[in-house]
Amino acid sequence: MSDPAVPQDPAARGAAPAENVEYRVAHLHDRLAAEELGELGVRAEIRAGAIAVTGTVPSAQCRETLLRIVHEELTGLTVHTDIVVAETARPDHAEEL
Amino acid sequence: MIRVAAVGDIHMGPDSQGLLRPAFETLPDCADLLLLAGDLTRHGTQEEARVVAQEVRDLPVPVVAVLGNHDHHDEQPDKVTALLQDAGVTVLEGAGTVVECAGARLGIAGTKGFGGGFVGRSAGEFGEPLMKEFVRTTRRSADSLRTALEELSRQGCAARIALTHFSPVADTLAGEPPEIYPFLGSYLLAEAIDTAGADLAVHGHAHLGSEHGMTAGGVRVRNVAQPVIRRAFNVYQLHTA
Repeated sequence: MSDPAVPQDPAARGAAPAENVEYRVAHLHDRLAAEELGELGVRAEIRAGAIAVTGTVPSAQCRETLLRIVHEELTGLTVHTDIVVAETARPDHAEEL
Repeated sequence: MIRVAAVGDIHMGPDSQGLLRPAFETLPDCADLLLLAGDLTRHGTQEEARVVAQEVRDLPVPVVAVLGNHDHHDEQPDKVTALLQDAGVTVLEGAGTVVECAGARLGIAGTKGFGGGFVGRSAGEFGEPLMKEFVRTTRRSADSLRTALEELSRQGCAARIALTHFSPVADTLAGEPPEIYPFLGSYLLAEAIDTAGADLAVHGHAHLGSEHGMTAGGVRVRNVAQPVIRRAFNVYQLHTA
């Protein structure tokens, strides 16, 4: 198993060297906020050498867009994603205060 | 008993139209009003605000909202507010409103709020002008919330709710990275709520946080960010004297 924190083929992609993975994650956060998603609520963390991207987005289209951007920004890195779409069902009970 | 439905952070865009409407149309079965705790849009554009407006237009229960930081991103919160008002939504910013619910008067005081952090780990009104303005912005918001709650107490409300986007307590941020708490809320909001008194505080903003919390003064706090409650809305039943 390769070290996922090291870009697998940096020369071919012009990817950043391994020590810049943190900055690539930061740039992913910047892009998610700045582009059409306006997304600030998704986490992207370096975890055991891979990048874990987790969170909830408002629609299926947002999820698709987010996954595309994640894979563009983190090309060459091992990425695990767990992005769910917000649930829109009514509650089945109330909380009594 | 007053039944309060609430949700925040619905982040609607052009692809969202109709996602929440089916659940909202069932509101009269389970709730007396709907509170929207900010971040109703993604960027605060008029196009997105129209989607929100259409989603809640002519609902058979009153809708009361505050805006969130996302609703300010396009720097035209007044236009977002106007579009929501046109759809019948009462939008609060440093103000209160009284809603007749189940034969009782329910007061809601609302403000977006702002950050700064929590006691012992908070930003101070000190140093550079930008830093001072950051904290003063939160302080002004908290002061307006306290004033609005106090005004509602003079209007014979059976119950009062503080509605914000930013969190008044750290409890409901559990799950968020502690390093970003100062950007998620401020104790100044809780201090205002405890000083003026309230029966419930409702907020959003913290998608990774948790639902339940309480101010130091014992006011129950609920984080109703849609990613937290994982529903179209939650319902809280308030008992009135």
